[in-house]
Amino acid sequence: MPPFHLIDPTKLAAELGYTLIVVFLCFMIYFKTREIYDLSKHEGINYFRITFLFFALAYIFRFLHILSMLVELTLDADSFREISGIFPFPLVFNGYFSTLAILSLTYSIIWKKLQIKHTLLLFNAIAILISGIAFISRSPFILILAQALLLIFTIILTCYFYMKSRKFSQLFILYVLFLLFWVVNQFALGPRFIPFEIQTAFQIISIAVIGIIYYKVAKWTK
Amino acid sequence: MDKIRRRDRLGMIFDILDIIRHHHNSIKPTPLLRHSNLSSQSFSEYFNELLEKGFIKEITDENGRKFITLTDKGFKYLEKYKLISGFIEEFEL
Repeated sequence: MPPFHLIDPTKLAAELGYTLIVVFLCFMIYFKTREIYDLSKHEGINYFRITFLFFALAYIFRFLHILSMLVELTLDADSFREISGIFPFPLVFNGYFSTLAILSLTYSIIWKKLQIKHTLLLFNAIAILISGIAFISRSPFILILAQALLLIFTIILTCYFYMKSRKFSQLFILYVLFLLFWVVNQFALGPRFIPFEIQTAFQIISIAVIGIIYYKVAKWTK
Repeated sequence: MDKIRRRDRLGMIFDILDIIRHHHNSIKPTPLLRHSNLSSQSFSEYFNELLEKGFIKEITDENGRKFITLTDKGFKYLEKYKLISGFIEEFEL
């Protein structure tokens, strides 16, 4: 079901503004950490920074998906509807990149405890599986459900390894909030499960969360 | 200064580079091995890694003696090491 509430230009502008801010912050984190990664080739830094690259791409495709639904809704564009019906690429890439981002962020914390061979290959296989589900079902709701399950699994996995050696830190909570807000924001792709005002409040908090992460990154990458 | 203080990979790299810097950016391989407090096998692995990554280079003088010096990238690593280790600690990576 399309997001009818976003036909309102003000609400669509708010969605665009939110996407631009998050994408900008994610790309800044990715580029600001390039030098320290180039020098150290540290695996944790690598997974940390590609998380934000993947999230930036996921947010771009999330917005493109909203736009494609609005085009279908507002224009009498049969050919566009046919193309997006055959291959809903914004939804598929949204699912693909966001799954990679969730897995990369999780692995950046636990990679020392859980050494996996061919990590990126495995992550890609999981991401293709989840985006494949989105492709077959053509349903954002199924994608949200699959990612919510993945998120619960990764949080449990992280807690298991994390709690062995460390206490919950402020950073761990930030990561959980960041991932949680991603799933919550995915609801914008479906019908109005969440009132627009509440969703906007979630978006403001999620900008604050990623802003704090960016501030922490900027502190160490002068 | 010559002793290895930390046993993580990044710390070891820092210490080897720091030893070279404190010898006026010119040291022979054998004293470098001795000051690094590493086994010859470990030292050899780190040494080759540093050469491959372009942190250090070997220079041979007119008498055929080999010296190790830091490259610009090596100096950059020394300069940024505190930031790198601070970043890793901050983000628990």
